Amino acid sequence: MSNWAQTIADSLKKSEISLITGVTDSSLSILINLLREDPYFSVIPASREEEAIGIAAGSYVSGRRSAIYMQSSGVGNSINALASLCIPARIPIPMIINLRGDLGEFNIAQVLMGRATPQIFDNLNIPTYVLESDVSLEDKVTGALKLCYASHQPLAICLTPLLHGGKSAR
Amino acid sequence: MNRYHAIQRLMGIVDERVVIVGNLGPTSDEMRHAKHREKNFYTYGSMGLCSSIALGIALNYSYKVVSFDGDGSILMNMGTLATISRENPSNLIVLIWDNEMWGQVGRQFSHTHYQTNLEEIAQGCGIKKTITVNNEDDLERVFVEALSADSPYVIVAKIKESEYLSVAPVEPAIITYKFRQSMIQNN
Repeated sequence: MSNWAQTIADSLKKSEISLITGVTDSSLSILINLLREDPYFSVIPASREEEAIGIAAGSYVSGRRSAIYMQSSGVGNSINALASLCIPARIPIPMIINLRGDLGEFNIAQVLMGRATPQIFDNLNIPTYVLESDVSLEDKVTGALKLCYASHQPLAICLTPLLHGGKSAR
Repeated sequence: MNRYHAIQRLMGIVDERVVIVGNLGPTSDEMRHAKHREKNFYTYGSMGLCSSIALGIALNYSYKVVSFDGDGSILMNMGTLATISRENPSNLIVLIWDNEMWGQVGRQFSHTHYQTNLEEIAQGCGIKKTITVNNEDDLERVFVEALSADSPYVIVAKIKESEYLSVAPVEPAIITYKFRQSMIQNN
């Protein structure tokens, strides 16, 4: 089940994205722990998802590509950073987002923000890819990362329990 | 202290390699009017993120990075002082222009006009080098010290709000492109 994390890590490295910042959740931790073990990556835990967007933006404009990790709840905490900084300033930032609120969800607090996230991104014209299996995973992630930098905009790669097995899968 | 005069004075002594990230509003306008430089990164929105952007730059740069932030902005994103402390970038200077108000929107007093002390908050986050100044001579002296310090520095500069300059050109995409080009060439 955790091959998905290695695939994403490999894609990040192939796209030369070495500074990774965000606020984690249980499923993302599988990926983050992998990244921590690899000296290629610098993992910078932020105090809030919005802050992480600022750190990633600063990294990009200083010449070093950076990606964000956050749960869909964190998207709610970072919308203005995307809308008033990254998009107008044309700063490409891939966002690895764990999407809550769908099949198997158990926490009411996660439902609405998780379900609203793809539509919110749609409203902001942020390309959004939802990964529901590991079929062609490498092609999808590598392709999405390439599109992110071609478009000079943030882009969302959303993980789901169908990919990683949910909170029970460790 | 007047922020524009102080900015002019500080920008007169930084060398061309020093990055300065500007808070939105008058701070970035004044930076640009004082001295428009390749290594100025102005912001026009995302209030609160000035010092976080500066952190992201500092983690990838060999020379000094200065954040010209504000009290209202820091209040929005106080957690960034904790992150800065944890990452401990030796090249980062956070200079908080503290006018104790939300200046552009009606000059309502901010929390720093009352009990909140941003220097103590920075200390509470574990940042050792902190100071509060209220005149240009002290500011310049401590800024020069910070430019050669080997740990993060937080300077709270108490200022009195005054007339605003004309709004500088708002060109976020151009600034991103030019700033990034200059960083790639020089790093």
